[in-house]
Amino acid sequence: MKISMAIRSLRKPLLHRTAHLGNPPPLPSFPKLSEFAVSVAARPRPIVASSAALEWRTGERTCRRGGFFSGSSGHSKAPGSCFYSNGGAASSSYSGGSGSSYLELTDEELMRQCEMSTFKSSGPGGQHRNKRESAVRLKHIPTGIIAQAVEDRSQHKNRASALLRLRTLLALKVRNAVDLEAYSPPKELLQILPLKSTVRGSDCGPQIGPNNPKFMLGVQALLDLLSALEGSVSEVAKLLGLSTGALSRLILSDDSLRLAVNELRASKGMKPLK
Amino acid sequence: MKPCTLRPSFVRAWPCIASNFSTSFFQLPPPPPPPPLAHARNVTQIRHRRFHSSLSAPPPPLLASSPPSLPPPLFLRPPKHTTTVSELLEWHSWAKSLAASVGSSFEDSDNGPDSSLLCRELNWLMDDVLHGFDPSLMGKAVARDDPDIVISLRADVQELYSLWKQRIEERRPFQYIVGCEHWRDLILCVRDGVLIPRPETEIIVDLVGDVISKDEGLREGLWADLGTGSGAIAIGIAKILGNYGSVIATDLSPVAIQVASFNVQRYSLQDKIEVSEGSWLEPLKGVEGKVAGLVSNPPYIPSDDISGLQAEVGRHEPRLALDGGAEGMDDLLHLCNGAASMLKPGGFFAFETNGEKQCEFLVDYMQNQLPGSFCNVNTLSDFAGIQRFVTGFRNR
Repeated sequence: MKISMAIRSLRKPLLHRTAHLGNPPPLPSFPKLSEFAVSVAARPRPIVASSAALEWRTGERTCRRGGFFSGSSGHSKAPGSCFYSNGGAASSSYSGGSGSSYLELTDEELMRQCEMSTFKSSGPGGQHRNKRESAVRLKHIPTGIIAQAVEDRSQHKNRASALLRLRTLLALKVRNAVDLEAYSPPKELLQILPLKSTVRGSDCGPQIGPNNPKFMLGVQALLDLLSALEGSVSEVAKLLGLSTGALSRLILSDDSLRLAVNELRASKGMKPLK
Repeated sequence: MKPCTLRPSFVRAWPCIASNFSTSFFQLPPPPPPPPLAHARNVTQIRHRRFHSSLSAPPPPLLASSPPSLPPPLFLRPPKHTTTVSELLEWHSWAKSLAASVGSSFEDSDNGPDSSLLCRELNWLMDDVLHGFDPSLMGKAVARDDPDIVISLRADVQELYSLWKQRIEERRPFQYIVGCEHWRDLILCVRDGVLIPRPETEIIVDLVGDVISKDEGLREGLWADLGTGSGAIAIGIAKILGNYGSVIATDLSPVAIQVASFNVQRYSLQDKIEVSEGSWLEPLKGVEGKVAGLVSNPPYIPSDDISGLQAEVGRHEPRLALDGGAEGMDDLLHLCNGAASMLKPGGFFAFETNGEKQCEFLVDYMQNQLPGSFCNVNTLSDFAGIQRFVTGFRNR
């Protein structure tokens, strides 16, 4: 009936605000997982596929972090100067080595690794303009991963949403090497496992779900392991003390995790989990 | 922070008006339309602009009986109206098709909003009208295909028709329609006669946050937001100052003073922010050389550009808050002089400007007309890459 369709179209905008972390609303330019090859090479550095050139709108101007109270007297009108710096040497806080360390950074530290821009800059802006376009786009410089947020009413909140989304993308896309010989699951992975896992000690506390910010740390470790085991869910399940069915249920319980696992399996020529 | 409902102490603060502040506040008479060339705010000595006699006129009485009065912001109203799902949907699809009919015509004529932006605003309007609404009710209506399920609204459906008509046909700004603007993590009430805070201006609060994180002395001092409008910057700063320091927010417009006070009270910051009526620096008399920080988003649009503004801005927002004189610099230059006299040694200032040209002019002015007054003067871009802010410190 007509009314059902109309109601559905009405509900969508009301609902997505609460659900956007796990399921980012579809945005036209949001990079698809498939744009990032997933690599399994056992190297000590994070591997991010370099689909470097993710084209954005032409004419967009970005505004990079840069020393804005860099101490020099007089004045600077360097076009790059902007806020979000805490003085120079911002990038030194980026700890090379393991990709999982990105997720351990504070928001501020992570933000300092990003280039932030708004979508459009036609016209003089400021007081001239009242268009409520508060969309924000973050580009994570070390990995080239892009996250954006458009749906909220304030730029400030869109920035926070974009940063959360960036954390999710970093967990899903940056693969770390795993030493299979001496593997023992890290605590953040154990915490997202169901209680019946035989390798999960009692000190892990209750199972962490997708609404907990720490969930993504576990997801990252799980994907690292799955990647090292060539996409085999049953092999991963063995190492985690779970039945294949139980691990599958965990994977299918979160959309972003399911999509990432299936991307990974597809790249190995395996069937998707359903 | 979730905005609270009005607190009793707030009502006590306004015993003269009414028991329900949100209602009484918005029953203030709307400001008279500004005379075409009034720059009442300007008292600068730099350009010797005419000091308008309207300045000395008494502010309008608090409880003027003269209509029209404005209803309170949608999101603060009680959900006392009811309607059926089908009636609401009928309104929604009408509103959506009205928005769609705009296409890109506003954008083409004056860089106004296009259909897709208007549709997003429509969703936000739904958010405010259906605040606290339980979507499962809609689910039930779908499941049972029952269009007669009753839901509660903060405005009746007839008013929604009229509001959306104003939005599209009169180009009345969305923020005046719903009575609020989401800015940083705040929800600020706004109404006709007060400038709607812009996303660019959010950065000023970040700049202050950066400065006080490095200088405890500044955190503990007095901060001034001149020409505060809705109180946005003052409230943003007060929140990041935490338990330290205090803020004074000034504005020439009595309506802005009322709105800013209202917002300050909503966030329970009345002990931290003093809202004071007066032109620019006048309310700061007695603290010369003692102010830790001075920030402002003054009117900076050149007078000749006012007529070409986007309709939402040019037709509806207060000219007093937009028109910065022939070059748009009158108030900014006045503020530069003010910063030199008001700031304590090491004190910080940040001003929003119209863009690169004004930024450069100000930097040059400070160097050549106020030599030795400031150090670390810098210009900063907004997120669209436009040179938007001038910042610096009073020389020690």
